[in-house]
Amino acid sequence: MTQQLIANGIVAGSIYALTALGFALIYGTARFFHFAHAAVITAGAYAVLFGCERLGLSVPLASLLAIAVCGVLGCAMEICCYRPLRRRKASPLVLLLASLGMYVVLQNLISLMFGDNPRVILVPQGDKPFSIMGARLMPVHMAIILTSLALVLALAGVLRATRVGRATRAVADDPTLALVCGVDAHRLLLFTFAIGSVLGGAAGILIALDVGMTPHMGMSALLMGVVATIGGGVGSIPGAAAGGLLLGLAQHFSVWMIGSEWQDSIAFAILLAFLIFRPYGIFGRKLGKVEI
Amino acid sequence: MDYLLHVLILIAIYSILSVSLNLISGYAGLLSLAHAALFGVGAYVAALFALHFHAGFLFGVLCAAIGAGLISLVVAAPSLRIHDDYFVLATFAFQVIAFGVMNNWIGLTGGPMGLPGIPQPTIFGLAISSHAGFLVLAGAFAATTALLVRRLVRSPFGRVLKAIREDEVFAQSLGKNVTRHKLQAFVIGGALAAVAGTLYAHYITFIDPTSFTVQESIFMLAIVIVGGSGSIAGSVVGAALLVALPEALRFLGLPSSIAANVRQILYGALLVICMMFRPQGILGEFAFRRR
Repeated sequence: MTQQLIANGIVAGSIYALTALGFALIYGTARFFHFAHAAVITAGAYAVLFGCERLGLSVPLASLLAIAVCGVLGCAMEICCYRPLRRRKASPLVLLLASLGMYVVLQNLISLMFGDNPRVILVPQGDKPFSIMGARLMPVHMAIILTSLALVLALAGVLRATRVGRATRAVADDPTLALVCGVDAHRLLLFTFAIGSVLGGAAGILIALDVGMTPHMGMSALLMGVVATIGGGVGSIPGAAAGGLLLGLAQHFSVWMIGSEWQDSIAFAILLAFLIFRPYGIFGRKLGKVEI
Repeated sequence: MDYLLHVLILIAIYSILSVSLNLISGYAGLLSLAHAALFGVGAYVAALFALHFHAGFLFGVLCAAIGAGLISLVVAAPSLRIHDDYFVLATFAFQVIAFGVMNNWIGLTGGPMGLPGIPQPTIFGLAISSHAGFLVLAGAFAATTALLVRRLVRSPFGRVLKAIREDEVFAQSLGKNVTRHKLQAFVIGGALAAVAGTLYAHYITFIDPTSFTVQESIFMLAIVIVGGSGSIAGSVVGAALLVALPEALRFLGLPSSIAANVRQILYGALLVICMMFRPQGILGEFAFRRR
């Protein structure tokens, strides 16, 4: 029983970790709440559906297509909306409001195209569930864990080893100093929006393959990602991944005792507790006096 | 004719919501995504009192305002220790939790089935059952709210709120109690939202959680922003515009199945356009430009 709960928690947690990483990457460099990330997640899920049903692609091919769509969508938002706003010296709250607007538009466009009813992608499930240390995992769950792990490691590699990755970390650490050192802010933001959206899209695809999709799925997924980001400590990439895993485990253990319909409320109660008592998260460093 | 009155009643109810949210977001500078939740708290409190205790309308308004005011206090007191984005997030979290309670506490709220059969209001023995009668009632409440908030924001209290929104540290350096002022603005705004909730519950006579979602909160924020933050006339104009504009789509012959989506696309797009070209809104004075 406990093993199964841990396994389910890890499956949910690895999706949260992906969402959290995508969000944290964008939040760390662009420094505003990119609510439209939720629409990117939803778009990833529906793009797979579109690829499989209307274009007749196989699931892996459709997933690649969906990831590309998400990357382009993220870049389009940055170029068409956030960049002009930044040029007008918009404050983070203005950017946040604009992203809320874009989220509403995109979510409703998806509703119009695919309807509000839940949809699933029919995957040839076949195979028997794997059995690991007394827990049973379906192939799709194994795929979720492995894909998430691969993407997290790939991201860590890019951030550590490449020039643009180092620039990203520099901006997340101290934007002014990074700019003084000659980092091209526009190009860098475009890069983080692309990578962040790809991660978000991947999370959307995995959710779609696991439990199906609705036009509202992105917002609940994003909010879990935000809870994980803040729980793990804003600005800390390993923290975001660990926060996602912990949140998944915490949720599945609490569901065992309370009831699955309260899942969202529990996650948000955790978030409120963090915001109030430990806004720098479990792993984050203590913030200085908040700047106003 | 009844249709026109219906739209006007909705405009009156949304004016109360946007004026009260303007006090929080436009004057105190606190972006809140919890307004639909407080609106819902008001609607549920009034409905429960009316259904279980046969409470009169005005008593229901009072209970709803006190209930939502207390809940606003509980939400805002800890949330005000954090700033900007994080405050938005905390109110968002409260919104999701409140929706969860409305949707899942079936014993109290009826869950997704909602609460049907809320009586039409009776004031001093006078039953209000026609659309015209209700418009007078809702209009009176909207006008009272607007005048009350106008009086508030022109008082020394309102000037402190504006000072806080422009520069919090500066206001503090003048010896103003920043947290207390923000808290008061949030609680008054929340209580007024509950008044709108009571009107809504008694007007539609049926409430369910779908009227109090986060989308609805974003819609209210869009009204405030598009109408103009920090302008009461702007909030009323915004409510009229954003409620009436989608209704106009009906006459273009859009099927009702897509009308709801088109309505949301419309206000989402308006919000983005507004941020691009006129962040202070149509009549507003505050553009969320605090560094």
